[in-house]
Amino acid sequence: MNPILEFDHVTRAYKKGVPVLDGVSFALAEGEVAGLVGRNGAGKSTLLRIAMGMLVPQQGRVRVFGLSPIDDPVEVKKRIGYVAEDQVLPAGMSIAELAALHRALFPKWDGAMEKDLCDRFGLSPRDRIKQLSKGQKREVALMLALCHRPELLILDEPAGGLDPAARREFLEASIRLLNREGSAILFSSHHMGDIERIGARVLLLDEGKIRLDCELDRVREDLCVAMVPKAWIEAAALEKTPGCLRVRPVFDDWHAVFQGAPETVTAQLRGPLGSRGVSCIRVPLEELFVELVGGKPAGENA
Amino acid sequence: MQLLVNPADELPIYRQIMRQIEEAIAGGRLKPGDKLPSHRDLAEQIVVAPLTVKKSYDELEALGFIETQRGRGTFVCATLPPVNHAGQKAQVREAARKLLSSAYLGGLDFNAVVKILKEAERDITQGREKEAS
Repeated sequence: MNPILEFDHVTRAYKKGVPVLDGVSFALAEGEVAGLVGRNGAGKSTLLRIAMGMLVPQQGRVRVFGLSPIDDPVEVKKRIGYVAEDQVLPAGMSIAELAALHRALFPKWDGAMEKDLCDRFGLSPRDRIKQLSKGQKREVALMLALCHRPELLILDEPAGGLDPAARREFLEASIRLLNREGSAILFSSHHMGDIERIGARVLLLDEGKIRLDCELDRVREDLCVAMVPKAWIEAAALEKTPGCLRVRPVFDDWHAVFQGAPETVTAQLRGPLGSRGVSCIRVPLEELFVELVGGKPAGENA
Repeated sequence: MQLLVNPADELPIYRQIMRQIEEAIAGGRLKPGDKLPSHRDLAEQIVVAPLTVKKSYDELEALGFIETQRGRGTFVCATLPPVNHAGQKAQVREAARKLLSSAYLGGLDFNAVVKILKEAERDITQGREKEAS
């Protein structure tokens, strides 16, 4: 099956020699939902803007529905629903006017979904954009992106500024879209719980590269964090242990992310260390995120 | 069907769904022949990706707890998988040891553990009480 979205060794720098994206490759299939995570400044928005053809990669190739978003912008954009991180909507227009404009542009516009989402978000169609709060504007942008039933949804922090109830409504609406259209979704988020709910796959962007591209269930079942007292082993030795992805210092311990089940990793570490006190645990995505990209890695001294 | 998933739980979401359906079958809240919601409906209800719910259903089907009849839906199997009594008993005994040691370390006595067991029995037969926070 042809991928819906494909990045092939995409590189983009804003400053010469400092790539924000450094050879990024991945593909998204029909019906797939991937959460894009990474620290602030990791390049998430750059990646999403390149997918939309709003930025041109300096190296590499992007294909959306098999087309180039730069050479075929209209064909590509009419099949995508996109919400930017700082989506600007025309201040003087009402929600109803904006919806009418979108209805005219997109043949698949779903009036029932429009009404349903406005109700769920508590939006009054007659309100003008300039009268809305930041979160309400976000809700309007999401409504406009979802209601033309796109084959691909690209969302840059869709939940930014939404209250927990509105976030849940948005997730429900996305799931209905997945159920009915089999759309693919690529969204960046700092809400790991949201990603665990609707994502099947997580892409972790770090220092311009995809550090982790993994099914969420496997993240939970095949990765664990080992805690080892610093006094017992050098960070370098720990990093060389097979399966070790990253080591970082936490007070008197090393925290090391390992590929493998906790029982296996514990046994593997107890061999050379020869004592008790090593503990390995499975962790939720939020903790794993911190372990993989938080703080300073063991190799760099403050 | 009443299910609650929690992204912060140590189990992945598809396993949380499996566990709760297994509990409902074990406790008799779901009986052989009962119809389950479609994976898409359940996904909307508990706000989880449809593929995740599908995965739980597939695994439960492979284990012999539920079956999908084409065009009709998904049902609890009329005959549940045969039980390996000896193996099951050994597993429960192991779990009981763990339970008692964590209770004793936590300062609970045997009677308190029995009380907790009774509450758990009520939870799985009558549905989990909404957790008080």
